[in-house]
Amino acid sequence: MLAEQIINGVVLGSMYALIAQGYTLVFGVLDKLNFAHGEIFMLGGFICVASIALGASLPIAILVTAIIAGLLGLVVEFIGFRKFQSPDAHLTAALSSFAIGLVIIDLSQKIWGAESVAVTLPGTLQTAAVSIGGLRIVMLRLAILVISLLLMLALYVVVTRSSLGRRIRAVAESPTKAALFGINVTRINQQVFFVASMMAGLAGLALALRTGYASSDVGFTFGLKALAIMAIGGMGDLRGALIGGLLIGVLEALAFHWGLGQLADVFVWLLMIVILLMRPSGLFGTLISKEVRA
Amino acid sequence: MDVYPQSILSVDGLSKSFRGLTALDQISLDVRRGEILGLMGPNGAGKSVFINVITGLYPADYGTVRFLGRDVSRLPSYALARLGIARTYQNIRLLRRMTVLENVLVAIKDHVNRPLRSLFIRNRSRFVRAATTLLEQFHLADKRDWLAGSLAYGEARRLEIARALAGKPSLLFLDEPAAGMNERETEELGDTIRASRKLLEAMVIVEHDVAMMRGLADRLVVMDAGHKIAEGKPGEVLAEPSVIEAYLGTDEADE
Amino acid sequence: MIQDYIVFVGVNIVLAWSVYVILLAGSLSFANGGFMAIGAYVSGVLTVKFGFPLVIAALISGIAAGLIGVLAGFPALRTRGIYLMLVTVGIAVSVKAVIESIDYVGGIQGFGGMIGTTPWHVVGLVGLVGGGLALLSRSPLQRILDAVREDELSAASLGINPIYVKLTCFGVGAFLAAVAGSFYAHYLIHVSPDQFGIVLSVFIVLYAVLGGTNNMWGPPIGAAIMTLTPEFVRGLEAWRPTAFGVIILCLLLIRPDGLLAFRIATTRTKVVAGSKPKQST
Repeated sequence: MLAEQIINGVVLGSMYALIAQGYTLVFGVLDKLNFAHGEIFMLGGFICVASIALGASLPIAILVTAIIAGLLGLVVEFIGFRKFQSPDAHLTAALSSFAIGLVIIDLSQKIWGAESVAVTLPGTLQTAAVSIGGLRIVMLRLAILVISLLLMLALYVVVTRSSLGRRIRAVAESPTKAALFGINVTRINQQVFFVASMMAGLAGLALALRTGYASSDVGFTFGLKALAIMAIGGMGDLRGALIGGLLIGVLEALAFHWGLGQLADVFVWLLMIVILLMRPSGLFGTLISKEVRA
Repeated sequence: MDVYPQSILSVDGLSKSFRGLTALDQISLDVRRGEILGLMGPNGAGKSVFINVITGLYPADYGTVRFLGRDVSRLPSYALARLGIARTYQNIRLLRRMTVLENVLVAIKDHVNRPLRSLFIRNRSRFVRAATTLLEQFHLADKRDWLAGSLAYGEARRLEIARALAGKPSLLFLDEPAAGMNERETEELGDTIRASRKLLEAMVIVEHDVAMMRGLADRLVVMDAGHKIAEGKPGEVLAEPSVIEAYLGTDEADE
Repeated sequence: MIQDYIVFVGVNIVLAWSVYVILLAGSLSFANGGFMAIGAYVSGVLTVKFGFPLVIAALISGIAAGLIGVLAGFPALRTRGIYLMLVTVGIAVSVKAVIESIDYVGGIQGFGGMIGTTPWHVVGLVGLVGGGLALLSRSPLQRILDAVREDELSAASLGINPIYVKLTCFGVGAFLAAVAGSFYAHYLIHVSPDQFGIVLSVFIVLYAVLGGTNNMWGPPIGAAIMTLTPEFVRGLEAWRPTAFGVIILCLLLIRPDGLLAFRIATTRTKVVAGSKPKQST
């Protein structure tokens, strides 16, 4: 049914948005692209699988995934970005984060094998559904949607209303000026990486729960697509990432519904190229960072 | 528009805003053949924005710029450079990892205009000789094989000016060339500028250093908050009350 | 057996150079795996279905890739390097997806029947490209590229059109990658889309970077090492991605200027104020 597909698309889109906002956070504050982000997303699924296999309940698994993903983000920041802070170093940082991503994929394939690993959930958690207005909605997906939106709302509130958010925006505007104001830029970078990676990990967990599998190639499929979504929605703009994610999620669901699923990937990237042609700053303005750094 | 017959550059009604903040408000002026025009004003007056717009870094919102009779308002930097408008930057932008000689070579006219053909250029010694001659004029020839990044500040500035002149421009914009210089360096800079005069049709110098401008400029234009507030001979302009007030309103120390 | 080595190392050397050419203008491309795929498929179709001779087909596929690269790259090159990186990732992903969905070239299965590459083709290609790069490094064009790479803004003030320069390098890089891909496909006889994922593009960049980007000899060294060592060090093949990733990270972290800091390729003596004259190659 079309309406169900649209809802599926929104759920999918909320996952894209979670990942895209992570890219956006890092880009906004450090002005660099973190190519390891997609792999942390990928790992989220595996951490979830591992936790459950070790006997953790779902809530604990969620917590563990969030924390480990966040910590991994700190590692990525330290190895891949700490030393490359100058504005000219964005190529270097991109390359180093790509290298870290490669290592992550390889190691995870060594640990869990190259095939997908099934997620075993208690009971009918996976398929329990409700009927709302004649539409059959899987509870799990609804939960994913609600939690994702809540997370992103929380992020938005923090960034726009809290003192931490003010400091983040100051660093995003200009790290040198922020440092002059006494802001510990390194600490802010770390916090941003922690939050972004945590969101990615949780998105990975959500995907694993939704599909029932953790798989090692989602970093390159999903994860990179979220990067294109960030560019479409506006580099460095949280709202853009959210709206872009939801939009693309729905469009993809519709495409599959109409049998055009194969070209979904190409479509997103071509759309990105077209939008960059017309508006390099993406569809929306900037909530986090200035558009162009000198 | 008042077109003085000796103008090589005519600016009419130039306006530029950034996100609602007006940086340039209907600036009109002209640069005359053979002159050194000083552009002064307190910080934030819009002098750098003015140069940046004229030299093609970003386009103006309104207004026209005519150079040697042509409308050049929308041209990008490299096109303006090829037409004969050159500039230096406030924070010296040399190619620091290349040698002094290479910095000038890359700017020599004809060496640069056709990248693909330059793959096969014979007779490069012609260009090297031209570059070396220019370096000699700027007293940098003995340092030709030094890395540009290792020059002293004053020398680096001289090199930047030399390089700007390598393209045989008609009009040269100097953006705060004396920034960060002590008195001696400023004097040397003044000599360099005076010596360069004959290689050009005209020069526009943006500077804070009042004493230097008084001695160097044929005419002065003073800007404040995006407007032109005075124009004329240095002696007259610097005595005008509006100009004095504009400067005293800031923390800029008169040197 | 030795034939295999020559062809694979040679192809990877040209691939590494294809990224190097783009790096020379200050851009980074993650699309060269995609250009390689274009080369493989376009030339494959031309030889298998239309009977073109290999070299002509390779050249045509190179031009096709070059055009696609310039068209796709143009919007990105007008703005910052980061946008170009994104667009190149997009090109790589899109090429693979498009190839997978075209049944004329076999879709996911790929297609075959491409023959004709001898080691001489590859050696000849390496020689030509190497010769061209050597010519470049001694020419005024090298200085122009250095200026654009170092500081686009001041290069523009000197009359150099940075967009034109970067686009040309990007197109040439795409061309080289496609020609290399053509020879590669016609040696393997059969190609399929999954050989040309984004990881391939990243590996190609790693080939170029591993050997050092100071001058034109670094990329071939990197390509040779990364192609040959897994053959000779038992068990390394399984760990290739991790090993390369770690090595690259170490390289990036150790170099004080970061990765893409070039030293200029001239053979003249350079003097740094106060120190002994340094000979640089």
